[in-house]
Amino acid sequence: MSAILRTENLTKKFGGLIAVDNFTLSLESGRLHAIIGPNGAGKTTFFNLVSGILPLTSGKVFFGGREITGLKPHEISRLGIKRTLQIKSVFPQMTVAENLWVTRQASQGFLHPFRAATRDTQTRERVDQTLEQIGMTALADRTAGTLSYGDVALLEIGMALISEPKLLLLDEPTCGMSPAETERAVAKIKELARSIDIIIIEHDMEVVFGIASDIIVMTQGAILARGTPQEISNDERVREAYLGRPEDEDYVEEAAHA
Amino acid sequence: MIRTFVERFLLVAFAAFLVSVPWVVPVIANKFWVSVIAEILIWSIFAASVNLLFGYVGLLSFGQALFFGFGMYGVGIGIDQLHLSFWSAFAFGVSAAMAMALITGIFAVRLTWHYFAIITIVFSLIFYFLAVRLKPLTGGDDGINFSLPPVFSFGATRYSLTDQTFQYFFILAIFAICFYLMYLVTRSPLGRAFLAIRENDLRASLIGLNVYVLRLIAFVMAGFLAGVSGALFAFFGRYASATYMFYHVSGDGVVWAIVGGAGTLFGPVVGTTLFIFIRELVSTHWEHHSLIVGVMAILVVMLAPKGLVGLWREGLSRIGEQKTSSELNAKARLRSQP
Ligand SMILES: Nc1ncnc2c1ncn2[C@@H]1O[C@H](COP(=O)(O)OP(=O)(O)OP(=O)(O)O)[C@@H](O)[C@H]1O
Ligand SMILES: [Mg+2]
Repeated sequence: MSAILRTENLTKKFGGLIAVDNFTLSLESGRLHAIIGPNGAGKTTFFNLVSGILPLTSGKVFFGGREITGLKPHEISRLGIKRTLQIKSVFPQMTVAENLWVTRQASQGFLHPFRAATRDTQTRERVDQTLEQIGMTALADRTAGTLSYGDVALLEIGMALISEPKLLLLDEPTCGMSPAETERAVAKIKELARSIDIIIIEHDMEVVFGIASDIIVMTQGAILARGTPQEISNDERVREAYLGRPEDEDYVEEAAHA
Repeated sequence: MIRTFVERFLLVAFAAFLVSVPWVVPVIANKFWVSVIAEILIWSIFAASVNLLFGYVGLLSFGQALFFGFGMYGVGIGIDQLHLSFWSAFAFGVSAAMAMALITGIFAVRLTWHYFAIITIVFSLIFYFLAVRLKPLTGGDDGINFSLPPVFSFGATRYSLTDQTFQYFFILAIFAICFYLMYLVTRSPLGRAFLAIRENDLRASLIGLNVYVLRLIAFVMAGFLAGVSGALFAFFGRYASATYMFYHVSGDGVVWAIVGGAGTLFGPVVGTTLFIFIRELVSTHWEHHSLIVGVMAILVVMLAPKGLVGLWREGLSRIGEQKTSSELNAKARLRSQP
């Protein structure tokens, strides 16, 4: 299997703090990868480096064999890496449909300055399709700023999807969702993973062990362990790292017996 | 629904009024007000330039007078020293403003918020002082006076802005074109991208928008609008002067746009009209009329953050809600009476 994302000695320092420490990692295409680890482990920072939001201190990033080190966020986005943010972020004063609309048109390169945006029927179809896909058709005309947190998270996933990404980076997508919303989102992610490569950061161990086929455990900017859910749940070091979080250990335990 | 209907109606009424100004206004007031209205049209385009940046892209520029000044001097110098024809001078002024916007924009749009506001002030101050010092070229604070070349000439018939009515309609036509262009842009994919940047520039870059280049495009477009208004003002006054490049002119544009309603197409027209009327009505009686302007600006910003147009729309949608809820009640009552 070919690597969809590969890093070589990726490092990010914030002053004296090493948030990502000499990361060398290869993520194959076709599997759903999860990154877990305690707060402050550097998971989000890793996404920020891959998506170009933060300049890296040293190292290299390759996307499908192509080096993307140092590219701008919009360039990386246009290559097909889309992401959601840990602190959910959409365009609050636009409607749900407009959020999707502008996202779709942004990926098309040329932005017509004089033709009405709504005259683009191809985009309209794609917006409707995506609304249906994320189950938000009824909310199409709601102002995004008035949505519940869970709906904003779903909209963000919709925005990541609408431009047919090759790689999707999801940063705690179910955080703040109700159990019902989480279930819906997890089902969606599972379905998406069949056609798109996904890397997910997630604190909810039930979610992680339910959907991931490859788990990377990070602590203090470095990789502590990596393997299948089975391997990770049997890993002594991981158990140790998570000892302070008994509720999560239950899931590790459960997964081990599954 | 109600809003589109009422606003369509107002727009048609406003357009009809503007077209009838040269005949109606001298009758109901006097001729002087025709040129006040012409001036309002010109300054509305200037306020629209502030609005395009602040209301649609989220960049507050305190330096639009620089591009107004370049439009103005482009026309003045073009006619006075380069002996250009009317249209060449117009094009020269507007191109000069856009070129200047491109050059300063390359630096300015790297910054946002107060840093952006400050750099636009700095640029406009630099060029203001340059214009004052380069007296042989610019006439400094005294400015340069010139006489108008004809706008069109067909054989012996010449149309020139010296004809008051023709001048008014010429300004009205340019005003209409500028606002129509602005209307087209705001509902185009480009306009949506601008809004996305205003709303959330990080997210905008993550969906693949080149935020820097788009801000630069908006800056040059705003330079175009400011340049057109400056060029028109030069034709209108038959002179160009460095005083119009000073930052208080930029500040006026900001106040007009924000009080009228930033992020709405006609907000700047409303704000400009209001303040120029206040100026014309009060300044002859009271020299501290700027006090009124200041107090009004503060009140509007505090009480109606979306400006007068925003306030008006809120009012309309409230009426709309009441209407639909009373309709619903009526229907409910009907249903409950078998
Ligand atoms: N922009 C920044 N400037 C300075 N320090 C930062 C910045 N971003 C992250 N850090 C620091 O880097 C470390 C890693 O942060 P990061 O957000 O990547 O953690 P995380 O694994 O995503 O944690 P969480 O599970 O809480 O989201 C933390 O100590 C954080 O304080
Ligand atoms: Mg994080």
